[in-house]
Amino acid sequence: MRGVSKRFGAVAALSDVDLIVRRGEVHSIVGQNGAGKSTLMHILAGVHQADAGRVLLGGREVRIGGTAQALALGIVTVYQELSLLPNLTVAENVLLGREPTRGPLLRRSTMQARARAILESVGVGEIPVDAEVGTLPLAQRQLVEIARALSSDPGLLVLDEPTAALGREDAERLFGIVALLKARGVSTIFISHRFAEVLQHCDRATILRNGRLVETLDLAGVSEADLTVRMIGESAEAFYATAEHATPRRDVALQAHGLRLAGRLRGVDLTLHRGEIVGLTGLLGAGQNEVARIVAGDLAADAGDVVCGGRRVGVGPRAAIEAGICLLTEDRRAEGLFLDLPVADNIALPSLRRLRWGPVLDLAAQRRAVAGVMRRLDIRAASAGAPVRSLSGGNQQKAILGRWLLRDPAVLVMIEPTRGVDVGAKAELYRTFEALAREGRAILMVSSDVPELLGVADRILVFAAGEVRESVARGEADEDALNLAIQKPAA
Amino acid sequence: MIGRRLAGASVLLVTLLMFLVFALTTDRFASTGNVLNLAKQMSIIGVLGTGMTFVVLGGGIDLSVGSVVLFAGAIAGALLTEGFGAAPAMLAALAGGALVGAANGLLIERLRISPVIVTLGTMVAVRGLGLVLLQRYSSWIDVSDPVFDALGVGSIAGVPASAAVMLVLGLAGALLLRFTRFGRELYAIGTNAAAARLCGVDVAGVRVATYVLSGAIAAVAGLLSVVRTGVVSPSIGVGLEFSAISVVVLGGARLSGGVGRIERTLLGTAILVMVLNYLTIHGVPGTWQTTVTGGLILAAVLTDRLLRRSPA
Repeated sequence: MRGVSKRFGAVAALSDVDLIVRRGEVHSIVGQNGAGKSTLMHILAGVHQADAGRVLLGGREVRIGGTAQALALGIVTVYQELSLLPNLTVAENVLLGREPTRGPLLRRSTMQARARAILESVGVGEIPVDAEVGTLPLAQRQLVEIARALSSDPGLLVLDEPTAALGREDAERLFGIVALLKARGVSTIFISHRFAEVLQHCDRATILRNGRLVETLDLAGVSEADLTVRMIGESAEAFYATAEHATPRRDVALQAHGLRLAGRLRGVDLTLHRGEIVGLTGLLGAGQNEVARIVAGDLAADAGDVVCGGRRVGVGPRAAIEAGICLLTEDRRAEGLFLDLPVADNIALPSLRRLRWGPVLDLAAQRRAVAGVMRRLDIRAASAGAPVRSLSGGNQQKAILGRWLLRDPAVLVMIEPTRGVDVGAKAELYRTFEALAREGRAILMVSSDVPELLGVADRILVFAAGEVRESVARGEADEDALNLAIQKPAA
Repeated sequence: MIGRRLAGASVLLVTLLMFLVFALTTDRFASTGNVLNLAKQMSIIGVLGTGMTFVVLGGGIDLSVGSVVLFAGAIAGALLTEGFGAAPAMLAALAGGALVGAANGLLIERLRISPVIVTLGTMVAVRGLGLVLLQRYSSWIDVSDPVFDALGVGSIAGVPASAAVMLVLGLAGALLLRFTRFGRELYAIGTNAAAARLCGVDVAGVRVATYVLSGAIAAVAGLLSVVRTGVVSPSIGVGLEFSAISVVVLGGARLSGGVGRIERTLLGTAILVMVLNYLTIHGVPGTWQTTVTGGLILAAVLTDRLLRRSPA
């Protein structure tokens, strides 16, 4: 790919990026969330079309106008979110759209035999072909997905965070398959946040930062720390403003007891002190997100309770907000912002009960309150009346933060608060989090970004299989140790 | 952004331009008599559109309003016939409309059934109820009540009473949307219901309130219908739900919610009524009016789309 650019509205997702993948190579794309990895892969898969730039395949320029064209060119993508149909059998899924038929009828036995052959060819022959996909464990589903991708005999395989949901053993099997493909001359693009995997299994890496190409480098002899610094563009120490970090106080801000959720949480206890930043992490689906959403009232637990300010918190987001618990989710657009509404409305909405004069809104008080928050967080917008859609990702996140500051919260629950935010704004957000903690607010932060957790959190709770497996205090672990703790297979 | 603003202002421009062109090409169009006639013709649809705007802003739709017009008319007519005064008859009609709205809202929000299905059901069922009630009076009630009669011919500062009702209701609705928590929360829900819930907004409660408002306001339209014709007959209100939705769309509202204003719905009503009136004056048969209404809606949606796509 040469000189690829793509804009979404005012945001340049990619500017003039080159990506060269050699035949039979395992190539990694490295970058922070929002660096443009997914956009680049979407262009390759035909999901998006580039605004500028060319795609060359085997030296020939090709046009990828849609997903069907990408497949026809032998470019097969396996996404992080599975695209299998849970109510169909493994065989039906693997051969979807290519079912063997006799006239208008399916040839069921041929179909099963063919599906079995495909699974065996990638070394997962033990998966029953007549089982409904929805009944299989997650790791097996992922392997079925990959088997399906391989059955179309691709020339280029794109794996987007394929190991996020896999245990170590299954991940190793996946890498076995990748090695097999490599021997057959198939190229693989491998995206992962786990640098250990990247360094062990990939030949070269292309680093993206803020939609721009940083470099493409040979990975032989490169360390994880090296790769991190190259990705972030500055040393980790300078990035997280921890010098003036406040010491958490002793008084408890929030306590959760015995949180349970069928199939997802098996009894989680949690204590947050005032002024403390507690990080929650773990593999995808280990339970950290559920705990955050229960604490913030978004999700109802099957058992257990949350106590804040000495009182039990009722059910629902409203009760949590009244108790002083506010939630920032990882999906700003779907769960946070009212894109077409003015910045002012976005900020004031949960506080309207306080900003009124009898039954009528006190618009002057609202203007003052919003202006105060925008000044404090340095939210850059054309005006408070501009639609929040027109703001940059970082400023949008600050607008949501501002919305909650207006409620003067005791506890801020954040899920992946810096996802999709550019590096400069990230550093600014970290400083804001620190400042909030110094004011005595407690912050519960779910993150899959290990350097971020090490830089910001006073305490990190590592989740596995719906339980807290390990609690790491500031300075007790380095990046390798924490990565290891996260990826250690469940006992 | 510019496109969006233009789309908003364009409703007013189109209305003014249309009036100007019609007035210049037809000698009777701008006469006082015809303008008052236009205002009267607007009143029922404008009132229904006002109620519908609330529902549409929350991302819903209310197909039952035409049937509520009959239901409320039948309740008022029956009570007047039984010797009750105008005030109890009107209040009972309003309560009946609000009750239908509450039923709509609760079925939609508590049982999570789609608004189209629920209000399609109540549209048929409530018309049925109205017909059952009306049948006890041989399916036809002649209303003769001093208050109703006075409203029929009366005017306030030269404005026909029915048009005054529409303007007052519209103004009250616009103020409600702009200056209360309910209004702000309604726009937020229509824009992003999931985010509104996480902001502590009682999403179901606000939406139910929009259906109750729509039902009660449709009952007002029912009373206006009785006032205008002096009778309650089985066919009143038929098809008015679509006129109400049409004027909301002509006013530039988005059916998925979050965009729309009552002022603009009333302008949309003016556009619709002016076009139909113009056609009548020029002798186009009434049978063509339905087709023209449909064409107008499509034209409105199309220009809106074009305006928004133009350099943003």
